[in-house]
Formats: sequence, structure tokens, C-alpha cells
Amino acid sequence: MSVRVQPELRNQLIQFGIGDWNACYHCGTCTAMCPLSEEGFLFPRKKIRLMQMGLESEIESSVEPWLCYYCGDCTNSCPRDANPGELMMSLRRYLTSIYDWTGLSKKFYTSELWEIGSILLIAALVVIAFLVGLPAMGYSFTTELTSQGGVKINSFAPIHIIEAFDWAMAIVVGGLLISNILRMYYKIIWKHGHMKVTFWVHIREFWRLVFNFSVQPKFGKCDDKRYWFSHWLLMSGYTIMFIVVVVFLPWFQTEKIVPAWHLQRALGYYATFGLLFGLLVAIAGRMRRKDVKFYFSHVSDWLFLVMLTLTVITGILIHIFRIYGMPFATYIFYIIHMAVLVPMILIEVPFSKWSHLAYRPFAVYFQHLKRHSVPRKTKHSNVI
Amino acid sequence: MRSPDKTCVFFYNPPSSGYDPIDYAELSRYSMTFPNVSRIWQYHDFLWNEKNIKGKIEEYGIDHIVLAGILPGTVKTLFSKAMGIAGKDPSNVILASFNDYYTGTTFNMDRLKSVLACLISGLSYETVAIPDENPVNPATLVIGGGIAGIQASLEIAYSNNLVYLVEKTGTIGGKMATFDKTFPTLDCAACILTPKMVEVNQNPNIKLMTYCDVREVTGEPGNFTVKVLKKARKVNVQTCIGCGTCAEKCPAQAPSEFDAGTTMRKAIYIPFPQAVPNKYMIDADSCIYLKTGKCRACVKACPVPDCINLDEQDEEVTINVGNIIVASGFKPFDAKKMVQFGYGKYPNVLTSLEFERLLNASGPTGGDIHLRSQDKKGNWIFTTEAGKPEKIAIIHCVGSRDKNFNKYCSRVCCMYSLKFSHLVLEKLPGTEIYEFFIDMRSFGKGYEEFYERILEEDVSIIRGKTANVEERNGKLFLRGENILKGELLECTVDMVVLSIGLEAGEDTQNLSRILSIPTSEDGWFEEVHYNLDPTATSRGGIYLAGTCQGPKDIPDSVAQGSAAAARTIQSILKGKVRKDLLSIPLETIEKRISELTLTQQEENVL
Repeated sequence: MSVRVQPELRNQLIQFGIGDWNACYHCGTCTAMCPLSEEGFLFPRKKIRLMQMGLESEIESSVEPWLCYYCGDCTNSCPRDANPGELMMSLRRYLTSIYDWTGLSKKFYTSELWEIGSILLIAALVVIAFLVGLPAMGYSFTTELTSQGGVKINSFAPIHIIEAFDWAMAIVVGGLLISNILRMYYKIIWKHGHMKVTFWVHIREFWRLVFNFSVQPKFGKCDDKRYWFSHWLLMSGYTIMFIVVVVFLPWFQTEKIVPAWHLQRALGYYATFGLLFGLLVAIAGRMRRKDVKFYFSHVSDWLFLVMLTLTVITGILIHIFRIYGMPFATYIFYIIHMAVLVPMILIEVPFSKWSHLAYRPFAVYFQHLKRHSVPRKTKHSNVI
Repeated sequence: MRSPDKTCVFFYNPPSSGYDPIDYAELSRYSMTFPNVSRIWQYHDFLWNEKNIKGKIEEYGIDHIVLAGILPGTVKTLFSKAMGIAGKDPSNVILASFNDYYTGTTFNMDRLKSVLACLISGLSYETVAIPDENPVNPATLVIGGGIAGIQASLEIAYSNNLVYLVEKTGTIGGKMATFDKTFPTLDCAACILTPKMVEVNQNPNIKLMTYCDVREVTGEPGNFTVKVLKKARKVNVQTCIGCGTCAEKCPAQAPSEFDAGTTMRKAIYIPFPQAVPNKYMIDADSCIYLKTGKCRACVKACPVPDCINLDEQDEEVTINVGNIIVASGFKPFDAKKMVQFGYGKYPNVLTSLEFERLLNASGPTGGDIHLRSQDKKGNWIFTTEAGKPEKIAIIHCVGSRDKNFNKYCSRVCCMYSLKFSHLVLEKLPGTEIYEFFIDMRSFGKGYEEFYERILEEDVSIIRGKTANVEERNGKLFLRGENILKGELLECTVDMVVLSIGLEAGEDTQNLSRILSIPTSEDGWFEEVHYNLDPTATSRGGIYLAGTCQGPKDIPDSVAQGSAAAARTIQSILKGKVRKDLLSIPLETIEKRISELTLTQQEENVL
């Protein structure tokens, strides 16, 4: 198999946050330090080498960037200040843009204007939909929404329309993600013509996908277990919220205020706590810049945190205003909530930082597929 | 002479430079007294970018820019580019780096003014500031009795001139005396060093002053007055017969400096059997009498009357010399700083100096390689019970080439590590040896051949530095990456040797202050010119030899010792030595500038 060397690749990678790509002198300290690096899947040094040489196809077929959970041990021990941890992070950003067939991901990662502009545009569309779209469909803002006491949330935001919109959004985002994962599969497994993965292996190893998505055992292997915990809280909170809002919206968004111990509220409270806790750790970490993990922040890192925080805070406010029967405030914050949430999901999940929720567990799955692959017999194999 | 009103002085004085503050207002006033200086700019005046600078250059028609300050070279490219864009000669941007004229204590304003005056007038400081010469005292002081100091002392002594060799420990010999073999020739280090040590002791031209510290240096080149503190040895060097009866009776123990702490010595001791002078000395920190006032076992045992005087005090001796050679040496990197290798935590993780002693026939085990284990008292000792190592890992570049510690290469570690492999295989054939290296630096004459020889021996030389040493089931477990194979490497060994690097000696900063000679940012003494004048310092009459100037191996140290001696003998033969650059008053500089510019003008007219 021929390999194309593209020295200009690293200039492209600089836009994804790679700092001093030339500092590494290949002592291997980072790989040896890394608790996640294992035989056959060595990183970060090997990936730095690929990057320095500009081996684009090799980088594209790597699963290793997704196996790194950025504990920062490599950067702390690096004798050259080459910052392997952030190099791996940058490679993840780059790979996200490679898996994405629309090309939007690259635009979002390399241009702040594109990313922030699109977010603002979608937010504006959401606000217009609420202020202009819904009244045009006959759900007009009448005085009864605010005057007769109690919050009529389902009259303000008609549940069947919101639900339909939720499903539409989930299908679009899911479709994009699945197509990107198929591209990821193609680049990592399929393209390697000399290796063969049997169908049975695909089935046998499938449990790893579910397991790694829900528990993230690899993150737990990093030396500092606290981040695994806070990240897991965040992830579980987000997953619960996502399922509840998309699948069980009629059960979740009710006009009747259920008691605090009701599963509807209890789940919501847990999710809010998990999200807030995880966010607080991440934001405080990025502001204090004490841990290497949080020392370098790309625009996409901050945007994601800020938007998720805004979503959670507006969600909490909606809840409070609803319980205390303040209709007008509830409606206002419902619109703000949606204006943050919708662009966040549409931009971040398929194209930006949040896509790692799918790529990471799939990468572990693909890693095990690779591990159980067998050399394919080619007609030339006996020549060598 | 430059056309008037066309030169600009830019003071590069960013908020923090790490140096003492400089009175830039005074320097600005001084610069303005020159008729060709039209503008003075400060760092805070405006935003420094090419466009702005170009604008200013064009606005004031500036032809020359003098960039003065601490490390002004950082902005030189900016100014050169701006000059180029403005259509002027970019080479007319001249640097006046004040940090080059920092003596380790403070800035001398007159000197900074002299530098400015020369550069503003278009002359280099070196062409103007040629110091006068002093008559020279033929006696020489050599600081440090390692191989470089020994070599320098002998060379001068052979020229029938007096040498004071001041050594801070109780014996000369330095680090080389502790080594087992030298690379690449595998000579026995002690066998080639001890004859020289004895020679030093016997040469009538060398006044050996061991266990002494240089306290103060006054005077000027050619005639220094040096105050030397003679630390109380508490044993009379003249009458001690070196019989060792005192040490037999002494109840106090301390780790032996010579054996890198692997064995214990008494409080009254000879550093090592071949020490020069071969006389006993008392270590005040471990002596029971000096701590509690009771004991005197050594005095009772000593067969020579009045030889041991436990109440002897330090005394100060003044000597007059014309030249000084600094050969104060290095200190080994403290391996405890790199926690990942577990030095000080696991008994069988050794530093190279400890391993050197372990290999040596006069070392803790008589040259047999044993493992180290804990004895009943909790001390780590090499014992036969612990067995012999079957697998040894040698990790290169410990503390060197690492931005977290020392970023430079210590030069000797690769070679001595290869030497270790050879010596281990010689003593314990069949031992598995792993050498973990980053880059193999076999840079000297015969060194590459030595490397090739080791490659043919049964040694696994692996590219890739291991990151972690852990204890598992009583063995040491290493995890690393074999970079050339691209594989993860995990191995279990019995012993790990850390090839520690070299650092500037602990006395370097102190000596730098006493002698008023600068050190570089890594802490080594700064030479006048790295390529062309590596032995001289910015002060006249003071020269450098050996590892105090930078990491080097034994051949280079010896060569530099001889070179420094040659410089000294040169000044003695000439009878004159150049004064310090610092000694030239500002008025003389100004006078010379006007003379030189006048002659230049005359030449131009002709």
C-alpha cells in the first residue's frame, strides 16, 4: 500500500489547535507514561510522528485519538514541552472534521465566524418560529395565556408541535451522526484492504459499544479518577434529559405540577444535578488552568460549555417560574431555552465537540474489531 | 562621523526582565548629549509593530537605530524589517545587550554608558575598550583539585612558577577519582589519575591547600589578593602518619562521600586510600565530641603526640597571586527530582555514580556486582545475600535534554552508559542489559568505534526512554516504547541504573560573586567566546578549566586545564596581564571615541 506524504497537512492541523508540532524528539516518554496506551494501539508519540510526516491517510485511519481521555500525564512529563495531550485533542477535532461529509465541521472548527454565526442564525430562527411561526399557525398569544392564572405551557408551546420538532431534529442529527460513523468505519476498518474482520466479530464485540458508552471504563483508567466521575455525571444527566425530552416529552412537559418525588421531577433533578456538577468542574478547571487537561481551551471547548450551561440555567428557571405560577417569565425563558438548546444540538452534536459522544464508544468498538482482524489472503501474497 | 540627527536609540525595557532595574532616564539623558542622536524611544511609547516603526523611521528620517536593553535581540528582526521596508539599510540596527555586561551583582552605569557611547558613535565596544595592562605576580591560584585543576597546576608548576591549589574537600582527585574506568579506552581511572595526584603533592612549586574555601578576591588582574578559609581539619597534616588507629576507635559514622553514599566511613577518616594528602581529617558534622563535648576516642588512640587537635578553629590565610584558574567542577543531577524513576524509593535503582563505585574494585563490594537490600538497621547495603542481578536496565538522559530539568545535553552519559554495559558483561557474562536511549551521542575520537563494539556485544540497545519504574513482586518493572520497532516494551529487571546528567557545581554561583565573573543561564561559568576563547572570562587574569564551564568529558577537561595554564604562563612570561574591561573609566572611552572617529574622518578625506 502506498502512503502519501503531505508536509502541508500540519499547517492545516494548526488551525485545529496544534501548537508546536516540531518540538517532539521521539523519546517515547509520553507513550510509556500513558495508562491507556497498549500494544498495537500506541499513542501519543506515534500519532505525533504521523502528523510531523504528514501521513494523512494514516491519521484518518487511526482510532487512537479517540482512545485518549486527556489526563495530561504525557504533557506533564514531556521533556520537550511538545504538549502531546493537546496534540491528541487537536487530532480529535481534525478527525471530527474528516468524518463529517458535509464539510461544515471543518468550517466550524477553523472559523469562529462560521461557528458563532451559525449558532446565532439558528437561535434567531427559533425565536422567529415562536414569535411569528406559532401565531401564524393559529396558536396566538392571547391574554388567556397570561391572565387566568397558572402556566399553560402546553398551550403556549403546543406539545404535539414541539414533539414533532424534537423528533425531526433527532432524526436529522442522528442521520448525520450515523452517516459520519459509517465514514469513520470506512476509514478505520474498511479501507484497510489487507485486513479482514469477520461478521461474527462484529456481533461478538458489539457489547463494547454499549458498555463504553454507558460506563466509559477507559476514562476511569486515567490516574485521576475524579474527572471520570464528574464526566460520567454530566454524561448520564445529559443522556437522561435527552431521552426524556425527545422520547417522553408528553410525559415530561405537563401542565399539571406533579409532586417533587414523582419520577418526572426526580429524573429531571438528577439530570440537572449531574449536568451542573460536570459543568462546574469543567468551567472551574478551564478558568483556573491548573490541570493540563484544562490548560488549553479552543473556542469550540468554551462554546460548548457556555451553551450547555445556559441551557441548564434557563431550564432551571423555567422550572422555578412554572412552579411559582409566573406565566410570562416562563414563556420568555422557554423561548431562550429553545434558542440555546436547538443550535447547540444542531451544531455541536453532529459537527463539533459533542460528536465525541458517538465517536468515542465507536472507536473502542472499532479498536476491538481491528484487534480481531485477520490478514486477508490476496492473490499476490504468495509472491512475497 | 555620522551625519547629525539621524540616529535613534530605542530602550527595550519591558516590565520584567529578571535583572536589577536600570536607570533608563539617566541613560536617555546621556544619549541625548550626542549630536547625532535625534530620537529616544522607550518600550512604552507606542505599539511596536513593523508599520508603526516604519512610519517613525520615515517621519524622522532615521538611518541608524541602537537597540539597548536586556536581551534587545528579541525585537531586532522587527526593527530590521521595518528599516528594510522604509528603504534603509537593515544592518544599521545595532544591539547593545546590557545583559552581556551584567556582573552578577549589579549593573555598572558607567559601563552601560560606555557601551552606548561606542555604539551611538558607530564603533564596537570591543574596538574602543582595550584595557591597559598590569604587571603580573607570577604566582597562580587554581580553584578546584579535580582533573582539570590538577592538570593546570602541574603545567604551571613545570614552568617553574608557584601555584596555590585550593580544594574544598580533604583530597584532590575530584570526581574522576571515583570512576572505575574511562571511556573509550577502558583505562583504570585511578591508575592514570593517582600518579598525577602524587606529582601534585611532590612538586615543590605547588602549594596544596585542601579543605579550604576561597572567601574573597580583591585587587586587579596581575595582582589579586585572595583570602582563603582554611577549614579546621583538626588533624595536623605535617605530623599525621596515616596509620588509621584513630578511625578504628572512632564510634561515629557517616555516609562516605567518595563511595557516593553506598558505604559508611568514620567521623575521622581518609576520603579514600589513595587520597592526596594521605592524611586523616575530621568531619565536624558527625563527630560526637564536637556535637556533645564527650568522646575524644581518636585523641586517646593517636600514637603521635598533639597530632589531633579537636579544638582547632578555622583560620583565614591571605595569598597574593597574579592569575586565577577556576576549575570548580560540576555536581551530579539529583535523581530524586525525577520521581517516575523511583530513585530513593527502591533500593535497586542506582545513580551512575553509585554504579561506578559498585563496579570498582575498591568500591563497596570489591568490584562484585550485587543487588542492594535493606539491613537490620534499615540502611541500604550491597550484600551477597541479595544475589547478583540477572537483568539490568540503564536509562539515559536522566535530568538532561529535558525542559522540566536541564535542557542541555550532558555529553558524557551515553558513553559512560555504554561503558557500564561492557563492564557488566565483563564481570557477569550472560547478564541481560537494556540500554534505553533517546539519541546516541558518541561524539569523540574513538567513541563511535566504542559504540559499535558494544553493539556487537550482547546488549539490547533500545531507542525510547522508559517513563516509569515500579516495583512488582520484588523486581523492578519498566514500561517504555521501543520506538524503532513501534512496540510497547515492558520488562522486569533486577537493577536500574540512571544515567544522571551534569549540573553546575553548588559553588558556582558563590564563586561567580566572589570573582565577579558571569554565569550563563544554565548556571555554568560564561566564557568570553565559546568557539575562540573558551578558557578566558570577561575579567582579565581569570580563566576557566574543566566542567565548571560546561559539561565535558575527561579528555576535554584535561585539554582545557592545559589551555588555561598556557594562558597563565603566557601572561607570566610577558610579565603583563590585561586589566578588566570594567576598569576603563567613561572619560577614557569618550576620549578614545573622539580620537578614533577623527582618524576615520582623516582616512575618509585621504
